[in-house]
Amino acid sequence: MADAPPGSFEAPLWRALAVFRVYALAYASILIARNFQRFARPAAGWVAVAAMAAWTAYTIYAYARPAWRRWPLLTADLAVAGACVLVSPWVIGADNLAGGMSTLPIAWFAAPVVAWAIAGGRRRGLLAAALMGAADLSVRGPLQQHNLTGTALMLLAGGAVGHVARLGVDAEDRLHRAVELEAATRERERLARGIHDSVLQVLALVQRRGAELGGEAAELGRLAGEQEAALRALVATAAPPTQDTELVDVPSAGGTDLRAALGRYAVPGVSLAAPAGPVTLPANVVAETAAAVGAALDNVRRHGGPGTRAWLLVEDEPAAVTVTVRDDGPGIAPGRLAGAAADGRLGVAQSIRGRIRDLGGTVTISSGAGGGTEVEIRVPRVGA
Amino acid sequence: MKRQPAEATGIRVMVVDDHPMWREGVARDLTEAGYEVVAATGEGRQAVRIVGAVRPQVVVLDLQLPDLSGVDVIAGLLATAPDVRILMLSASGEPQDVLDAVKAGATGYLVKSAGRDEFLDAVPRTADGDAVFPPGLAGQVRGEYRRLAAAPAGPADDTPKLTERETEILRLVAKGLSYRQIAERLVLSHRTVQNHVQNTLSKLHMHNRVELVRYAIERGLAE
Repeated sequence: MADAPPGSFEAPLWRALAVFRVYALAYASILIARNFQRFARPAAGWVAVAAMAAWTAYTIYAYARPAWRRWPLLTADLAVAGACVLVSPWVIGADNLAGGMSTLPIAWFAAPVVAWAIAGGRRRGLLAAALMGAADLSVRGPLQQHNLTGTALMLLAGGAVGHVARLGVDAEDRLHRAVELEAATRERERLARGIHDSVLQVLALVQRRGAELGGEAAELGRLAGEQEAALRALVATAAPPTQDTELVDVPSAGGTDLRAALGRYAVPGVSLAAPAGPVTLPANVVAETAAAVGAALDNVRRHGGPGTRAWLLVEDEPAAVTVTVRDDGPGIAPGRLAGAAADGRLGVAQSIRGRIRDLGGTVTISSGAGGGTEVEIRVPRVGA
Repeated sequence: MKRQPAEATGIRVMVVDDHPMWREGVARDLTEAGYEVVAATGEGRQAVRIVGAVRPQVVVLDLQLPDLSGVDVIAGLLATAPDVRILMLSASGEPQDVLDAVKAGATGYLVKSAGRDEFLDAVPRTADGDAVFPPGLAGQVRGEYRRLAAAPAGPADDTPKLTERETEILRLVAKGLSYRQIAERLVLSHRTVQNHVQNTLSKLHMHNRVELVRYAIERGLAE
């Protein structure tokens, strides 16, 4: 068993067992005080009480130390309680026991069973209960139904306490891991924000100075600029959602953020405009929408000519999410849509329409404002 | 709209950036282009302290400063010099940071990787009261109005709303159209388009101030 951390779930169980031992000892002592005159060996009865009291004190001390809760102590515990049961016929007298008198420890002998259950779980608890039950039955003579009650109760206790102890330890482990993970994630995000900002700063500086210096430095600056744009898109769209819970609580029914999926398209020449908070949609809707946007951008690259720029606008409305892809390329002349089918442009349009139609959405392709082409992809929110 | 370089002459600019090479580079570019760089500092607190004395028309402000948050610097600058225009520069373009800065009263925003010409063009426009508004920020502002509309209304329903015209213009800005293209398309004057865009920002700024005052009263911080 792994060492439980301080303040663990197990500690209260061990304290409860200590309390049980004290009460069980008190009960056994009272009954012995009432009956010892009828014992076969009354003096030995008091020796047994003293022994049980000493063991109770020792176990309360010993079980309070996590490092001591191991097999030597657990075995000794079971042996001591077992011995108290086994000497009962000799102290009390076999006739008295057969006549219905209790064994010396009465309920006290259940304590080690519970200890085994807490320390080792359900199976160890049942094993200890079986051993202790066998000792109890062996001193009671012929097997009778009322003799079995104590053993049955002990088996139940061993099983139940063992089960609960395992559940508690598992739950605590899980909680512990979750807390660790959360702390690690938060720390990583904090570091990332700081590092990103300084890295972006330097990349932007290299880009700027490179462009001023010209020649090879300009090429280096251009490369730095590309990386700067890629990293900035990543940071901007993967912002930790924990920042402002107010933003998250509107529609976050376990989906993914469309902005994060579109972030990879925000390269130089492609601008992404989106709300500051997450735009949450089911994962498959996000994937299909992003693929459709990717197809539209491919189309821009293929047919727009060099230097064509594109703008993505994400609009989050209660009933639907709209993504508009606009470019400032040559655009589609009126009546060219039919002709476009021939040279393959419609193929791309069809694949965009196909994906979005499957999501119950619509696609509008129009001649863009100020020239160029505009593809408006509208995906309804499910259940809206 | 093409600006004449002459307009740069004499515009008083303060540069606030904690990165020394950036600060010097920006100040040099501005000086070469004919602007008057009246102060350059790397600390937000110092910027707030001296803004009243050096009286810039435009503050070029890095949003990530070591000592104060961008929002605090903007609030401090506007408290001392209500007429100063603030052009934000940010390396990461973290959407929430930029949006918070706009709500605090900044009227212009550029990422640091913006080209030198783009930057030098943005400064006189900012001084002129024009909202320098990249498409990305337009999307965030539009999203913010949506969010405010969706949030449960407070005791007094003073949630800022966009007019249809403003919504239309904001969408076009977000889709990358220049003010000139928007003006042509909607048959409006360039100035009208600028005013509409400014209004979308100033309504957020006003709402933010009302919210802050309300918050202060609720907490018993104001009299």
